Amino acid sequence: MGAHISIPMYRRTVPQRYRLAGQRCTACGRVNFPPKAVCRYCRTGTGFDSVRLSGRGTVYSYTVIAGGGAPPEFSEEARCKGSYPVVLVELEEGPRIIAQLVDPPEEGITVGMKVEAVFRRIYEEEGVIRYGFKFRPV
Amino acid sequence: MRSVSVVGIGETKMGKFPERSLRDLILEAGTKAIGDAGIEKERIEALYLGNYNGSYWSLQSHMGPLGSEVLGLGDIPTLRTEGACATGSLAFRQGLMAVAAGFYDVVLVGGVEKMTHRQTETVTTGLASAADADLEVSLGATFPSLFAMIANRYFFEYGNVREQMAVCAVQNHDNALLNPDAQMHKKITVQDVCNGFPVAYPFTVYDCSLVSDGACFVVLAATDVAGEFCKKRLVEVAGSGHAGDAITMAAKKSLTTFTATLGAARQAYEMAGIRPADVDFAEVHDCFTITQIINIEDLGFFPKGRGAAAVAAGRTALDGELPINPSGGLKAKGHPIGCTGLSQIYEAVVQIRGEAGARQVKNAETGLTHNLGGSGATCLVHIFRGR
Repeated sequence: MGAHISIPMYRRTVPQRYRLAGQRCTACGRVNFPPKAVCRYCRTGTGFDSVRLSGRGTVYSYTVIAGGGAPPEFSEEARCKGSYPVVLVELEEGPRIIAQLVDPPEEGITVGMKVEAVFRRIYEEEGVIRYGFKFRPV
Repeated sequence: MRSVSVVGIGETKMGKFPERSLRDLILEAGTKAIGDAGIEKERIEALYLGNYNGSYWSLQSHMGPLGSEVLGLGDIPTLRTEGACATGSLAFRQGLMAVAAGFYDVVLVGGVEKMTHRQTETVTTGLASAADADLEVSLGATFPSLFAMIANRYFFEYGNVREQMAVCAVQNHDNALLNPDAQMHKKITVQDVCNGFPVAYPFTVYDCSLVSDGACFVVLAATDVAGEFCKKRLVEVAGSGHAGDAITMAAKKSLTTFTATLGAARQAYEMAGIRPADVDFAEVHDCFTITQIINIEDLGFFPKGRGAAAVAAGRTALDGELPINPSGGLKAKGHPIGCTGLSQIYEAVVQIRGEAGARQVKNAETGLTHNLGGSGATCLVHIFRGR
């Protein structure tokens, strides 16, 4: 077992995991993702409007995790594929998020590459498939 | 604020010790430190013990009282600290502040970790719990991958320094060859590093620090009472800094600067009244090769983007102008998480006392230790000066 997130806890974060539901701070106007209790930019705002992020962004940095370096719930995936890429993406709306990259280009991943979020199976725990987002090259 | 000095030090060898328990490690290092200080145990007023994840790896929490029991310190107050890889320095700073503030005259500070008795998956899971469980780990990221993303961003901003970066590991292995307490006694080359078993691109296994068991203790005393028992050269804690940053790597403003390092270093330099150029040697957090490069820049030793070239030119080697990690660092001395910060401080004291033997740095009067937790969310910097 790696990062254990219970089924009810996972379910509670479904809007952000499935639909990239973020929030715009009514005090400073900046977009927080994932949702926060207090705006992480102005650190005073506690009122938010819901926004759905576009899922479009650029690769800020990346890596390719090799078989031996994966967390337990991904070790089978790493064993099957040999390795899997992970990217840090700067979204159009500002926030940066980490996720896996699917269909990586043959010529290699580069910083600045344009990507978009796609809905994918992430891993399985307690008999329930956990879905969420990954990125793919545009 | 009172002046505080390190008056006693003791550590175990770092390594893989299947037959030794947390208690055994605490007993050896703690007894050595108390003996080195030449002090009666009754004078120790409190224990600060750093332990990162005994709660998970050994199902042992509440390790403060465990430590005082093992060492026979009686019913003194104890406190366990946890701040990821900066756990040991965090314990040190709590002890320092308590003595400096006048609450106590003499305290014992220790750090201990036992990791090698668990399978790799369990070690990885325990380490990954210092990242953001929801947003990083559950998406398939690990510490090597987080720092690998830092490396790739660094390459993008400052150029691909892959081979120069590898020299950090080579130098740390060279230094560890001269350190009897080091886990790794193996000479490696840049080619070994670059062609090693892949972990997370661009890292191979040689870019990563070790999984280790170990313990290290120090006795801290108010400088004005230290002369009563300490027969060795007093090593004064001249500066101390502690700063923080976001736990989630994605929330960091920059990936190629650790803002917590900048903050902790600024505080420590200011308290000691010195500049980076006044430091004679440093123990710098090298959980991965890129971390050492970024840290020696953030600490003000080399300009931003020039750290790797400085390392490759030999400027940070044992005989260079600013020796970095004479102990062998996390890479080759070892990285028993909760012990690491104190293991760095141990080296600073050994060097300033002139007791480092074959790895002795010339004119080691002022030493700096830098300890980083998580992907830069906790940082402590300490400066030591011989009296």
